[in-house]
Amino acid sequence: MWVLRWPRPEVSLRVHGRAVAVTAALLAVGFATFAWSLSVGDFPIPIGDVLAGLAGGGSEDAGFIVRTLRLPRALTGVLVGAAFGLSGAIFQRVARNPLASPDIVGIEAGAAAAAVVTIVVLGGSTAQITIGALAGAVLAAVAIYALAHRRGVTGHRLVLVGIGVTAVLHSVTSYLLTRAEVHDAQRAVVWLTGSLHARGWEHVRPTSVAVAVLVPVAMALGRHLRALELGDDAARGLGTRVEGARAALLLTAVALAAVGTAAAGPVAFVALVAPQVARRLVGHRSLALLPSAATGALLVVAADLAARRLLSPVELPVGIFTAVLGAPYLLHLLVRANRAGTGG
Amino acid sequence: MHVTTTEPVLHEPAVRVAPAGQARLRAEGACLAYDDRVIARDLDIEIPDGRITVIVGANACGKSTLLRGLARLLRPRAGSVVLDGHDIHRLPTKQVARSLGILPQQPVAPGGITVADLVGRGRTPHQGLLRQWSSDDEAAVDAALAATGTAELADRCVDELSGGQRQRVWIALALAQGTSLLLLDEPTTFLDLAHQVDVLDLLAELNQRDGRTVVLVLHDLNLASRYADHLVAMKDGAIVAEGPPAEVISESLVADVFGLHAHICPDPVTGTPLVIPVPAGHRRRP
Repeated sequence: MWVLRWPRPEVSLRVHGRAVAVTAALLAVGFATFAWSLSVGDFPIPIGDVLAGLAGGGSEDAGFIVRTLRLPRALTGVLVGAAFGLSGAIFQRVARNPLASPDIVGIEAGAAAAAVVTIVVLGGSTAQITIGALAGAVLAAVAIYALAHRRGVTGHRLVLVGIGVTAVLHSVTSYLLTRAEVHDAQRAVVWLTGSLHARGWEHVRPTSVAVAVLVPVAMALGRHLRALELGDDAARGLGTRVEGARAALLLTAVALAAVGTAAAGPVAFVALVAPQVARRLVGHRSLALLPSAATGALLVVAADLAARRLLSPVELPVGIFTAVLGAPYLLHLLVRANRAGTGG
Repeated sequence: MHVTTTEPVLHEPAVRVAPAGQARLRAEGACLAYDDRVIARDLDIEIPDGRITVIVGANACGKSTLLRGLARLLRPRAGSVVLDGHDIHRLPTKQVARSLGILPQQPVAPGGITVADLVGRGRTPHQGLLRQWSSDDEAAVDAALAATGTAELADRCVDELSGGQRQRVWIALALAQGTSLLLLDEPTTFLDLAHQVDVLDLLAELNQRDGRTVVLVLHDLNLASRYADHLVAMKDGAIVAEGPPAEVISESLVADVFGLHAHICPDPVTGTPLVIPVPAGHRRRP
């Protein structure tokens, strides 16, 4: 850990060296993957032309494909991945349970159910689906918090209640799909899988504003996690307003998950896996919030690249890919939790 | 970047003068309850400043509840807990945490955390968004590690430590907090006898050296009698007796509070009351 200090006005900041190094490395790998994903496709563009296109130069065709078609898609992937990674990190740290991430405890399921209602019942536009998903995530979060709350919220109860709420929401979604017109149902299913297909600047702009606001908020609130991790009594004894700090952290995490889901659908397992990978990379001394965001971004961009190219010319939704990677990890967590008898 | 080194400081200049004749920490007619379950009614207690107070009583007599009430972890249903002349629930949380530290019963450290990291978290009430790790924080943590003899464990993982070492580390966290009042809920539970004595010696030393007020909940009556300046005996949520151990401990009190038939004699080492349980076969007929 490094400490930066200025004497007047008295300021001291903790900087975790390894977390900085890991984040920088993840960003470097992430940018390489990002550039690669802009380069490959039905119309391959050499990396040099991609970089020129990003800078605003290059040939007209390449510039159009890079800037208008591929860049917004890749940027949406970066933003969504970062939002899911950070959201998962906060959830898991607050609940002290790796299973308590927004994709498991029903936040994304709430967004999905609301989005399907918007598509199937209301016949909504893309913008309306986004708003529906945001509202669904927040409503699901409020319901889960209220149901799990009994003199505070423990991680274990949050996971159990969340899984129950997820099951209810999935049944709502399934029911609506069976009643839907074929066209609506297809639209809904693609959305439900989590896809970056046809994401344009109209997706990038609102998502980037939301992420730009929520990430600093999460970082500022993150310092409460160091006390909250010691348990409610110890945290209170250390002068933390436990309920308020926890509610603010969870609200921020819910907002991040909602923004991510609204932009790309419930991309499976990113919020679950990214913080765990980041934590293993940086060790236990850091809160690993930014590294989790960077891991999430890299994960989504890489998974989207693979989903686009692996079965080319067939393009798979990115959510299928993250699910293929994430599901075995979830099983591993469940088996380990069962063996240790700790619930995670 | 500017790094300063200062002499280790163990306690902040947090000593505020209480009104004459009144203890810094006291409960006035406090009614303590969990949800609808009332544990203790109408509790009045003054914690003597600069002394070691030990609360004893049978299981479920409300002694931990009283400590939680005094530490602001539980809001009294009626009455109040007063710190430095103010209702403790009206004071800002951080301000309370700079005057009063609480070590809960059986705290659980996050997995994989190192000793230095854990003890460092004791500095939380002195930190803020732009004051994340001041030189005072560093000095206080170093001093706390030194005072508890855990400096050489600083880089070890808390999970790897023995029960006795772990308890020392938690006490170091409470010390790093730099409070002049220190409350500990059964700090010796699950430790073997040698480590129990070790922890209590440490607390006695901290009390004598820095004049810290220490409040403990303990199970063992003999250890309580040895280390307490002020002994508080509780039964069914009420304070039955309080005062110096020699005045409080009697055969009738032990029978009343613990339901234990015991013989009391002076401790051959310290002269404090020694409670010797009398087995059924040796009881005198009245």
